[in-house]
Order: sequence, then structure tokens, then C-alpha cells
Amino acid sequence: MTRVDSKFIDEIKTSESFNASACMNCGVCTAVCPMGLDILPRQLFRYVIIGVEDRVLENQETIFSCLMCKMCEQNCPAGVNITENVRTLRTYISRKVFGLLRN
Amino acid sequence: MTDRRIGVYICYCGGNISDYVEVEKVRVAISRDPGVVVAKTTMFACSDAAQEEMIEDIKTNKLDGLVVASCSPKLHLFTFRAVAERAGLNPYQYVQVNLREQDSWAHQHDKDQATEKGIRLVRAGIAKCALTEPLSTMRIKTAPRVLIIGAGVAGLRAALSLSDMGLSVFVIEKEAEIGGWVGKFGSMFPNDRKGIDLIGTLAGEAGQRDNIKIFTSSELIEKGGSIGDFSVVIQVEGKEKISLNVGTVIVATGFDSYRLTEGEFGYGLDGVITLPDFKMMLDKSNGSLAFNGRKIKDIAYIYCVGSRQPREMENPNLYCSRYCCTAAVHTSLEVGKKDKSIHQFHLYRDMRTYGKYELLYNSALNNGSVFIKYADDDFPKVERAGDKVHIKVKDLLSHGEEFDIEVDLLILVTGMIPRKNNKLADVLKLPIGMDGFFNEIHPKLRPVETVIDGVFIAGASQGPKTLAESVTSSMAAVSKSAALLMKGYVDLEPLIAKIDPERCVWCDECTKACPYGAIEKVSADGKEVARIIPSLCKGGGTCVPLCPQDAIDVEGYTDVQITAMIDSLIKEVK
Ligand SMILES: Cc1cc2nc3c(=O)[nH]c(=O)nc-3n(C[C@H](O)[C@H](O)[C@H](O)COP(=O)(O)OP(=O)(O)OC[C@H]3O[C@@H](n4cnc5c(N)ncnc54)[C@H](O)[C@@H]3O)c2cc1C
Ligand code: SF4
Ligand code: SF4
Repeated sequence: MTRVDSKFIDEIKTSESFNASACMNCGVCTAVCPMGLDILPRQLFRYVIIGVEDRVLENQETIFSCLMCKMCEQNCPAGVNITENVRTLRTYISRKVFGLLRN
Repeated sequence: MTDRRIGVYICYCGGNISDYVEVEKVRVAISRDPGVVVAKTTMFACSDAAQEEMIEDIKTNKLDGLVVASCSPKLHLFTFRAVAERAGLNPYQYVQVNLREQDSWAHQHDKDQATEKGIRLVRAGIAKCALTEPLSTMRIKTAPRVLIIGAGVAGLRAALSLSDMGLSVFVIEKEAEIGGWVGKFGSMFPNDRKGIDLIGTLAGEAGQRDNIKIFTSSELIEKGGSIGDFSVVIQVEGKEKISLNVGTVIVATGFDSYRLTEGEFGYGLDGVITLPDFKMMLDKSNGSLAFNGRKIKDIAYIYCVGSRQPREMENPNLYCSRYCCTAAVHTSLEVGKKDKSIHQFHLYRDMRTYGKYELLYNSALNNGSVFIKYADDDFPKVERAGDKVHIKVKDLLSHGEEFDIEVDLLILVTGMIPRKNNKLADVLKLPIGMDGFFNEIHPKLRPVETVIDGVFIAGASQGPKTLAESVTSSMAAVSKSAALLMKGYVDLEPLIAKIDPERCVWCDECTKACPYGAIEKVSADGKEVARIIPSLCKGGGTCVPLCPQDAIDVEGYTDVQITAMIDSLIKEVK
């Protein structure tokens, strides 16, 4: 069971740069990913939208493996800013987990 | 043999018939049938020239019967009845044979057989025609007054439109207040207009009209008479009885919101409420939202509560209530306007914000509402822990992963159900559909008419509808009523049952069979017999086979006519 934490939604939301609400879960992104990151981006974004921080943190490896090649973004029929979203998540983890950035 | 003088016209229908039926052959075959004086073929029987020719023939040959073998009577029955009338022939001595839908279109693979069938069909038409008698329609004077039952948005809007056309309107409302559901709501979709204001405007306008009379706390208790001339009795505030004479009745009694049983989706727990209750609470609140003194930070909605229920349930509501997805999404936007920081989780099965209402869904999505799709057979589970409500839901878009959402308030998005109105349905004898709402004759072709002539239905009493849809259907009922009443009279078809008082022994079998209550007991020549009430009989003929005395016939379809038709159908063709 995964607990939803609405504070997490706020923290990500305040960054303003994360936006995946247009995602319709079609899976085109996963299909074209040269790294074969099968949780990225749709499943991961779903965790962010619903607000389950634990699951996002469990997937740090994946988040940092992304090549930022924008292959997925080019192909996304819903126009989701996939790479910008991944960047937001990296910033979040850098700050929250590694304490690298100040607010 | 017969001494009738019948004219027969067989139509090519521009090839529609003649491509598959040898029309000339048919003509030759029937031209010597008993009673046939004129037998012709024609390219288009419905054309002006052909109609003129028929009129000419009827007059010069003193015809007393007319048969046109052409397309469906649905299309041209009235065209050719009018031809007969213009030629001075009784329109009920006209018989239409359907050579198109029943013959050429059905047997395109076999011209010989189609031609043979064509001969038989026309022959049967001629045999029937030879037994026709002149009949006349019944003309009933209509009362220029309408009774509207239910003063919700549908009923009130109908009242104003009828009044605009100069008709008098009586509106009866069961509750002490008028306005129905809309009168209880603030901002509504699609344009955020307040329901209370809308009803205020309608009521204010109605109050100024001399020809609208509204009775609150009132009910219909009796209905007599028939289309154009009903006599009704209403009871006001459980006491005073008022008799009225009206031409038509519009039933706009609306709907009820689904009633949950204790424990269903957590109903009964502190912090679990229905959408209608939440909407009224939201409308009253100013600024921040609180429930039982606690500030609200997180809200969840569960959709399809009481709608689209599983088949295996006892008496399930299988239909989609149509309004609720949009109403819940709109409500969440209203919440956002009051307090942007509130998190909102929408647990849905399918999002059905159809048409332009999808824009509302998009706004909700972009304003931070989270949408989680649950499966048809795996409903969210609700329990209370501390001062929070916990909802466990499996999100189909996360491969069925289960999430635990903790909220301050859970809103159950309840669907529409039929309002309990047994007494009314009884008094009006209104048919009720499988879903429990009042039934129209046909949702596309006759969307507000009922099997009771002159009684129309409108608004959410017919089934789940939004405000705009309710008003649209009430306008349809208005135009039906007005078209009838502004003419001042209505002509009723004489093709109805008749009882032979000689044979009738009043055994009462027929009265029990008639779904329209069109048979009554009368005394004739010292004995009790059944009598048809012409304005109520629809000529359905349910009574005919039940009469042990063979005392009932339906005009236009009498026993002798049908027997004659069967005899001709089975006659040797070659
Ligand atoms: C929570 C909620 C939110 C909604 N939000 C929206 C929205 O934002 N936009 C929108 O378009 N629609 C909305 N709707 C739908 C809207 O309320 C209906 O479309 C509308 O109320 C239908 O009007 P009506 O006149 O047919 O029925 P009702 O409003 O039900 O009115 C029927 C009236 O008939 C009376 N009556 C019933 N039986 C009798 C009887 N035997 N004799 C005399 N009187 C009788 C009732 O007392 C009532 O006053 C919402 C509905 C709900 C429940
Ligand atoms: S391609 Fe775009 S819309 Fe499709 S799943 Fe990926 S992010 Fe979502
Ligand atoms: S409108 Fe939406 S909530 Fe209502 S029954 Fe239909 S799908 Fe369910």
C-alpha cells in the first residue's frame, strides 16, 4: 500500500516547472526511450501527480539515468514537457535527499 | 361478388418497385378482380399529375373505393387519403398496399416471386377495400389551458413559454417551495450562473402573468376526460379540492438523488457526504472551507455512486446519470476558487464530461485536481481513522497499484434516481420504463409524448438530464401542447374498436384487457353492455381476441376484412 502525501504535491507544484497533467498514459515515451527506462516517464509522473514521494525516491536511479535526449518529448502526442519534468525531479532529489541545493 | 367500384393504381416508384416487381403483370392479374373498375400503373403515384388523374378517375367512374400500391403508409397514407377526400370519396375507403418495403426491397434477388407476391398483396388490398365503409374523424374542442405538474426549472420554463403564447397555465408543486433542485443551488455549469437566481427570475416573471397560476403544497388526485379536454382535481395543502378543465398535461416532476445505505462507500461516517449536500454547503461558505469545525485541506470525490451499478446487485441502476461527472468537476473548480490550497482527488470510473463540458475537465486538470481511475469491479474502500477519512483505491493508470489517500472530506458523487411518484403515475396511468423514470413513446421520434394522448413528460422526470437538457425537453413539450391547443380542436382517428351490443353479455373480459381504460359499462335496452370511449381507444385491438362473444371489431381491421384479405392472399396466382 502506498500512502499519498499531499505535502509532496505542494512541494513539487511550487516549482511550477513540473507539469504532467496532460499525460494520457499512452506509453509512446517508454517505447522510444533509448535507455529502455520503462518506468520513465509515465509511471513516475503518475506517482508525482498522485503525490507518493516514497515511490519517486525509490526510483532515483532511473531519474538520474535519463539521457535528456528528448526523444520521448518529441514523440509525446500530449505535449508533456518530459525532460523539464525530469530536471525538476532531479533538483528536488538533490535538495531533499542530498542537501545539495538551498531553497 | 361485389357491386363496389374500385380504382387501383400500382406505382413504379421510379424503379424502386418496378426494378424488382413486374408492375404491368400485377396490373393485368388484378384487373379482373371483383369490384375493380380502373386498374392503372404509374411512374410516381405521389406526383401531382398522378394525383390529379386519380381524382378525375374517381369522379368520372363514380368510384367508391381507392387502392394505391406503392411505398409505406408511413410516408403517403395521408397523401392519398387527401386525394380521396378531394375527389369526394370518404378517406377511410382508401387502402394503401406497401409494394416497396414489403415486396421489392425485400426480394431483390427474385423478380418472379416478388411479382407473384405483389399480385397477392394488391389482391388482398382490393378485398379489404371492397369491405370498407365511410368513417368520419371525431373532432374534439380543446380547452386552451395546460396543467403542469412540478415547479422545477423544467415546469417553470414551460409555464412561461405557454403563457407567452396566450395559453392559461396551472402549475402544481408538491413542496411548499417552488424551484426544484436548481432552486437550492448556487453556481452551476456551464456558465456559473446561480441556480437560485435563475429560479428567482423565472418565478418573478411567472408572478407577473395573469395567465399563470401556481399552487404549492399541491397534488393531482384525479384525472378524467381525454386529450384536449381533461378534467382534473387537485388538492391544495391537503385540504381544499379544486377542479380544473385543461387541454393538455405536462409532467415535470424531476428526479431524486441516489439514496445510500449506511456503510455504502463509508456513508454515515463523519466526513462523508453526498454531492448535493456538499454543493449546498459550499454555496453557503464564504472564504475558507470547514466541516464540523475542522478546516478542510484535502478532499476526495468518488464518482458513479448509485449509477452504473454492477449487474449482479439487487435492482441495480445500470444507467449513467450523465450530469454527475460534470457537476463534480465543476464543483471542484468552485472549491478551487474559494481556496486554491485544497488538494482534490477524483476517483472515477470513466470521465464523462461530454461535449463542451470537457473544457471544465481540462480546467480541473490544469488546476491541480488529481484524477484516479478505479476499476468497474473493484470499488474504493472507505474507513475513518482519527479525524481523517481513509480511502484505499487501486489506480488503473498505475497498473492497479493501491494508494491510501487521507482526506478531511469525502464527497460521494451520487447519481439521479426516479422520484417516488406512485400516486401520480397511478392517477395519470403513465408508463414507467425499466430504469424507473417516465417513458416517452420514442426517444428520437416522439421524445416527450406518452402513450396517453395529451399527456407529455419533460425534464429529469424522463431520465437523468442537465439543466439545459431539462429545459430543452420542456420546450418540446410546450410546442407539442401549443400546436394542439392553439388550433382549437383535435381530430381523432375513427379506426377504433366498436362493440356489438346485441352480442355483448358484459362478462368484463375486455375492460380488464384494455391498457387505456377505454371500455366502460353502460345500459342499453335494459341490459348491461360494454361501450368504447372513443377518445381513449387507440384501436390497438387487445380486447378483440379476448371477447368470448366475438362482439368486438376494430374499424378498418374488422374480422370480415382480415378474413377476406387472407382468402385473397392464398388464391392461386397463375
Ligand atoms: C448536486 C447536483 C448538481 C447539479 N449541478 C448542475 C449544474 O451545475 N448544471 C446543470 O445543468 N445541471 C445540474 N444539475 C442537474 C439539475 O439539477 C437538473 O437538470 C434539474 O434540476 C432538472 O429540473 P426538473 O425541473 O426536471 O426537476 P426538479 O429540479 O427535480 O424539479 C421537479 C419539481 O417537481 C416537483 N414534484 C415532484 N413530484 C411532484 C408531484 N407529484 N406533484 C407536484 N410536484 C411534484 C418537485 O418537488 C420539484 O420541485 C445538478 C444536480 C444535482 C443533484
Ligand atoms: S508520451 Fe506523453 S502522453 Fe504518452 S505516456 Fe508519455 S508523457 Fe504521457
Ligand atoms: S456522469 Fe460520470 S459519475 Fe455520473 S454515472 Fe456517468 S460516468 Fe458515473
